[in-house]
Amino acid sequence: MDFEYLKNKRLLLVDDEQELLDMVVSILKEEGFNNIATAKTIKEALALADNFQPELAILDVMLPDGNGFSLMEQLKQKGEYPILFLTARGEDEDKFKGFGLGADDYVVKPFLPKELTFRIMAILRRSYKDENPLIKLQNSEIDFDRAEVIKGGEHIALTAKEHDILAVLYRNAGRIVTIDALCEAAWGENPFGYENSLMAHIRRIREKIELNPSRPVSLITVKGLGYKLIVGGK
Amino acid sequence: MKSVPKLIRRFVGILLFSSILLIILNIVLLVVFTMRQIPNAQPWKTAEEVVTALHQTEDGNYVLTDEMALELSEADVWGIFIDNDTKQVVWKTDNLPDTVPTTYTLSDIASLTRGYISDYPTFTGEAENGLVVLGYPKESFWKHMWSSWDYQLIANLPKTVLTVLIINVIVIFIIYVTANTKLLKSVKPITKGIQDLSVGEPVQIKESGLLSEISANINRTSDILQSQKYQLRKKETARANWIAGVSHDIRTPLSMVMGYAGQLKDDANLTSEERQKAEVIVRQSKRIQNLINDLNLASKLEYNMQPINPAKQNLIAIVRQVVVDFINMDIEDKYPIEWQTEEALTVCPVNADKNLLKRAVSNLIQNSINHNEQGCKIYVCVVTDDGNCTVVVADDGVGTTDEQIEKLNNAPHYMVCDNNTTEQRHGLGLLIVKQIVSAHGGTTVIEHSIYGGFVVKITLPINNCDG
Repeated sequence: MDFEYLKNKRLLLVDDEQELLDMVVSILKEEGFNNIATAKTIKEALALADNFQPELAILDVMLPDGNGFSLMEQLKQKGEYPILFLTARGEDEDKFKGFGLGADDYVVKPFLPKELTFRIMAILRRSYKDENPLIKLQNSEIDFDRAEVIKGGEHIALTAKEHDILAVLYRNAGRIVTIDALCEAAWGENPFGYENSLMAHIRRIREKIELNPSRPVSLITVKGLGYKLIVGGK
Repeated sequence: MKSVPKLIRRFVGILLFSSILLIILNIVLLVVFTMRQIPNAQPWKTAEEVVTALHQTEDGNYVLTDEMALELSEADVWGIFIDNDTKQVVWKTDNLPDTVPTTYTLSDIASLTRGYISDYPTFTGEAENGLVVLGYPKESFWKHMWSSWDYQLIANLPKTVLTVLIINVIVIFIIYVTANTKLLKSVKPITKGIQDLSVGEPVQIKESGLLSEISANINRTSDILQSQKYQLRKKETARANWIAGVSHDIRTPLSMVMGYAGQLKDDANLTSEERQKAEVIVRQSKRIQNLINDLNLASKLEYNMQPINPAKQNLIAIVRQVVVDFINMDIEDKYPIEWQTEEALTVCPVNADKNLLKRAVSNLIQNSINHNEQGCKIYVCVVTDDGNCTVVVADDGVGTTDEQIEKLNNAPHYMVCDNNTTEQRHGLGLLIVKQIVSAHGGTTVIEHSIYGGFVVKITLPINNCDG
């Protein structure tokens, strides 16, 4: 997957424990991120934000001089960028509160390095489009901005639903997305009984992106569960 | 408050019953006393007998038979015979007192017939040519001197008696009602108070009236119950908070362990043996993580501190998401999951808290993973029958003994068990599944799997109505 440009994004990390900061920094550096700033208090974080201009903030909820939710609100006034909470507070109410206030994701401690970096990459991918917007598949390329597929030099338009379905699959590239999650992406909350429509849309998408739609190589069916988009060229 | 009308009915019943009983008793007593009155006609009969026992001899004198004479003298009764023509006493007994006159006028006879001679109660017997008069000892009889009643009174007697009886009953009833209304008035708040007590509501009854003492006691009982309830709740809250606090405090240090171990296990500079050690640390940290999550949720569910937000959900979608999350996480493919739900079954509506149900299903899959370190295949399916839908999570792993399955199905978990257990304890994962499923009105069954391992079936009622 070609997401190297995302590794240059400026990440702001706020947690009151130095050792945890060190560890997260080491995880992120190992993953290739090279633009990381850390702060231990709300005051520090706000001061830093002005100069550093973060493109993603990773915040703890409990900070010595206040809570992360209020820090998020203050940061959002300074600039529009995604925010991820990294906290020991695992209660559902806390999660709902975080999401309600506009958080982009919520990771509960403890976490595995892979889990954290996957979530960060997912947020960045959603928030920052590649300068080169073409997504390479085995037999075609997707241009989400123009909502079209380029296959063998031919430009094929995607419908709105096909675009939404492909976008969800792309955000979770390499992972299974359930039938229900895809229906929800295309038809909204609680989509009961849209499975057949989804299958029809998947068939049409395959006709557009696959060389041989009956033997798909990019949009794979996982029987009974969902679909998986394999990204990457030949 | 159904008991008060019942109480009234009962009281009225007792009242009617006792009234009827009283009337019957009165009648019986009346009859008994009247029966005892019958011998009192005896003096009149004796007088008649004396008439027949009195004979006139040839010389014109009257003689009483010895037998009768004896009887009279034994009873201390005197007797005279007044001649019709002369109004003179022509025969007398020997014990005749001096005060008794020997000559009578018609008015004397009329008065002695009704009443007394010189305070001796007298009784008469008519003979052919005179009148026999017997005198009984003073104060042996009382005679009704004016024995006549208004005819109407006698004619209406049954009606009168009945009216009197009815008036009696009504008067008693009015007395009863006024006396008892007050009692009932004070009983009413007490019964309500006791009813509230039984459902644990706080009770405060006005402490006045007939039953103020009982009211006061009920109030005291309520106070005690409320304070006990409060103390218990406080204790439970403190316990749940304590568990929440501990599990919170473990999270940050555990992140450090997991984070660095996670890095080390993928560090290309280390030998494979060292990387394997790091992987064990990661795996065990993950277990601690699951444990603290479980501990926290289990204690909250146990003490009813976990909010449950049910909504109409597609059970299949929930289970599918959990399965996909596990497949996406299981990079090494050590625990392949086979989705066996019939393809035709796409929707299975249940009324449930999505997050809790997800947790229950993922606990089942995690359980199979935890107990089969060598890896195993996991089979998941959703089936419907008869208004219920069942999630089946099976594996082909090591499984367990019949005894253990029996225990898992029936024995209380140590967290909800009030005696000390030192025996081997099973994890919290299944306890949480049971708690969540029962909070949703479902059932959990643990069995041997047909694939050789372990199977858990959770059954929930289908909710077909919209909303």
